[in-house]
Amino acid sequence: MGSRAEFSPQTVSVLAALCGQPSEWQHGYALARQTGLKSGTLYPILIRLADRGLVEACWQEEPAPGRPRRHLYRLTADGLASAAAAVAEAEQAAAEPASTQVRPGARPRRGRGVAAPVIP
Amino acid sequence: MSWLNGVAAAAGRGAIRLLPAARRDWAEAVWAEAHEVPAGWPRLTWRVGGVRLIAKEAQMVRRAGILVLFAVAAGAAAWGAWPGSPVSHGAAVRGGIIITVGLLIGLPLLSRWRLGPPASRAARWLRAGFYAAVLAGLPIQAAVGLFVGTVPRSGIDRHTFDIFQGPGVPGSSSGGPDWGGEVGILLLTACYLAVILALTARRAPVAPATLAIGGGAGLILGAVMYAVAPLGFNVKYPDRPWLPGSEAVVVGTLAWILLFGAPLVAGAIAGRRCHVPDDPAEASAARLWQGLAAGLVSGGVGALFLTVSGSGSAALLVNSAWVRDWLYHGQHLTASAVYGRELFASQNAGSYFFLLVGFPIVGLVMAVIGTAIANPAPRVPDSGQLHPAAATSSIRENWAEAREVPR
Repeated sequence: MGSRAEFSPQTVSVLAALCGQPSEWQHGYALARQTGLKSGTLYPILIRLADRGLVEACWQEEPAPGRPRRHLYRLTADGLASAAAAVAEAEQAAAEPASTQVRPGARPRRGRGVAAPVIP
Repeated sequence: MSWLNGVAAAAGRGAIRLLPAARRDWAEAVWAEAHEVPAGWPRLTWRVGGVRLIAKEAQMVRRAGILVLFAVAAGAAAWGAWPGSPVSHGAAVRGGIIITVGLLIGLPLLSRWRLGPPASRAARWLRAGFYAAVLAGLPIQAAVGLFVGTVPRSGIDRHTFDIFQGPGVPGSSSGGPDWGGEVGILLLTACYLAVILALTARRAPVAPATLAIGGGAGLILGAVMYAVAPLGFNVKYPDRPWLPGSEAVVVGTLAWILLFGAPLVAGAIAGRRCHVPDDPAEASAARLWQGLAAGLVSGGVGALFLTVSGSGSAALLVNSAWVRDWLYHGQHLTASAVYGRELFASQNAGSYFFLLVGFPIVGLVMAVIGTAIANPAPRVPDSGQLHPAAATSSIRENWAEAREVPR
């Protein structure tokens, strides 16, 4: 199951864009506009997500006249669950004050007077 | 701007062929999507991103680095080995260099087409090691050949030369082009290259662990053999500065044990470690195949290591005073005695040819024994022991199945 620790902020933004309309197929350019990512960043992310089985891709069956077929993307069931968790975690982290945020897996340091993090 | 867009589009379409089949859809997707992006700068940056994607997915930086490294190494080796015009055997040496470099370029392309790219990190290391050995061998061979072929003008050196080589023409090379020797070395190089490419290709049924075990055993064998005989198996002159007295006997015994024991153990371990199918006959054949591959690799790597390090030491001996002082440290030798040892060591370099042929054969035989000992053939209820023909046919089937795996 995906968590924020597994995904970069750019990947989370792609997952959030796909999560907006999970049942709809989306185009690369539409995703680039929603996320603000360039093609050289967006497509490697989509490739990795597809390799992990979180995104499925297909070619458009009936292209617009005079245009090539477009590649379409949407979340799989696993992808939807991972995306929902990652987006929720990212939103929660953004809402928390900076002092209470800890890196996942980080151990509290001893003897330095740092308060232990509050785990909800 | 439109011409820049055209250049980016053409570069991308051409570069898509560099991608593995599974990734081409993605690159084509970026290109198809470019038609939806507003013309001008946004479309150009979109296409540049597509080119970046292709470069990343095709690992073009790594490929380009390997090509540059090979070109530099091959150029340096050819430059170091290229004979000057006065050398009478120059034509044979030049021909040998050109054909060797041609083999190193051409055979991998053929292998990639028929058997696929290297299968693992162990396969890449094995190939890289072989390439380094062959390229290092070019200037070594030239240096040793030139020394052996040059006749001293007069004096005790001339007398020594006549004893070792027979009468020659003073001040010049001792004979014409050694076409037979060059052809023999080229054939051996081609055989080694073909076997290594075949064993390390993706469609060959050889596990990465088998290559690693065989390569490791071969390196140990080669290193111990070199420690015993840094200038070839030269019983006439002691030349082991690091092994004084009785230690030489111990390490020498260890070298003989390793010659037969290393491929035996490598074959046994490789046979036991590999993943095998459930069917006993197929499992036995798979173990035998992995054992054979490990034995062959260990013998080949051991022979190559010993050849390059031994003949390299002989080449350094005739070109470098400190190597002479190091190898014969503490021995008060006259200039003539040094010449005799240099000539003897250089002549000995030719005998590595037989080691290059013999070690892999010993490796194969010992690996069969090792695999048989460690993995006894299962008894079939009706007909007893597994028939050798069944094992052979299973090996053929393994190859046939492996060749069906898509590139």
